[in-house]
Amino acid sequence: MTGPVLPLANRVAVVTGGSRGIGRAIARDLAAAGARVAVCYRQREADARALVSELGGAPAALAMRCDVSNEEDVNAFMAHVVSVCGPIDILVNNAGIARDGVLMFMDSAQWNDVLATNLGGAFLCTRAVVRGMMVRRWGRIINVASASGDAALPGQANYAASKAGLAGLTRALARELAPHGVLVNAVAPGLIETEMIGTLKPAVRERLLQGIALRRVGQPEEVARVVTFLASDAASYITGQTIAIDGGLVS
Amino acid sequence: MSTEQLADAELKMKIKEVIVKSLRLEMPAAQIADGIPLFGEGLGLDSIDALELVLEIERTFGTAITDDQIGNRVLRSVDSIADFIVAKRAASKPA
Repeated sequence: MTGPVLPLANRVAVVTGGSRGIGRAIARDLAAAGARVAVCYRQREADARALVSELGGAPAALAMRCDVSNEEDVNAFMAHVVSVCGPIDILVNNAGIARDGVLMFMDSAQWNDVLATNLGGAFLCTRAVVRGMMVRRWGRIINVASASGDAALPGQANYAASKAGLAGLTRALARELAPHGVLVNAVAPGLIETEMIGTLKPAVRERLLQGIALRRVGQPEEVARVVTFLASDAASYITGQTIAIDGGLVS
Repeated sequence: MSTEQLADAELKMKIKEVIVKSLRLEMPAAQIADGIPLFGEGLGLDSIDALELVLEIERTFGTAITDDQIGNRVLRSVDSIADFIVAKRAASKPA
C-alpha cells in the first residue's frame, strides 16, 4: 500500500494526559498524521489502554502511568518512550487539572496541585525531552493553555494563573530554543466539549455560550487539528505564539 | 609519535574544529592552544556558547555532558574536554 506521505511520518510524539478529552483527540489526530504516539495518564488506565490498541499498539502507540508533577515519573516515562518508539520529536503538554474555588477559601494544596501539574508538569516534561530535540536540531513543543489564561472566570485563580504561565513559558522558551530548530507554541482552547465542562450548570453553560461568536461549544477534534498543524513542517515559521481556539470568545 | 599520542592530537584537533564551528569563531582551529581557558579570560566564551558547545560535542562525539557541574569541569579547555571524552569512551567499552 503506497499513499501520499503523511505530514508526521516517522515522527515520535508524546501527549501528556492523553487518556481522554482534548489529549485523546490530539493523540488520535497526531497518529492519523503518521506519528508514533505515546500518552501518559494518571488514573484512567483502561481509557489509555483502549486508545493504544485503537492506534495499533507498540511501537506505533504506547501508554504509561505518569504524574507529570513528579520528576521521577516524568523522566522514567520519557526514557520508556525513547526506548520503545524512538527519539521524541513532538511534545504536547496537555495534562491539566482544575480545582476551582474562590481564592479567599482556597487552601494551599488547591493552589499548589494545579500549578504543579499544569505549569510544573510542562517544565518537567519539556526539560526531559528538549536536549534530544536540540541535538537533532528539530523539535516541536506545544503547550495546551486555555482561554482562561486570558479571559478569566471567578473561582479559577489557580487555573488561570497556571494557564497564563504556560503562555509566558511558551514565549520565553521559543526564544531560547529557536537557534536550535525547536519551535514552541501554545493553543488556548475555549469552551470545549469534555468531561471537564460536563460539570457546568446549564445556566452557566448558556451564559458562557452568549459570549462566544459561534454560539456553540467546540469539539476536541477542532483543537487537535491545530496542534497537528503546529507539529508539522507546515508551521515552520511560527514560534512563541498562543493560538486561541475558542469560537470567537468575547471577553 | 606513538599511535596513542597521534590519536590524542587528532582528538584535540577535532575538538578545536568543533569549538570553531559551533561558536562560529573567526580563527583557525589550530590556533586554539590545548590549555587555554575557554571561558572568561582566554577565549571569552559565555553560557549561551557553553550550551552550543555541549550540544555540538554530543553530536560529534556522542558523549553527553549532563549537568552544570560536569559542564564547568569539562568545558575549561581543549585538554579537559579531551580527557572527558577519553574517560567516557573507556567507561563505555565492554570489558
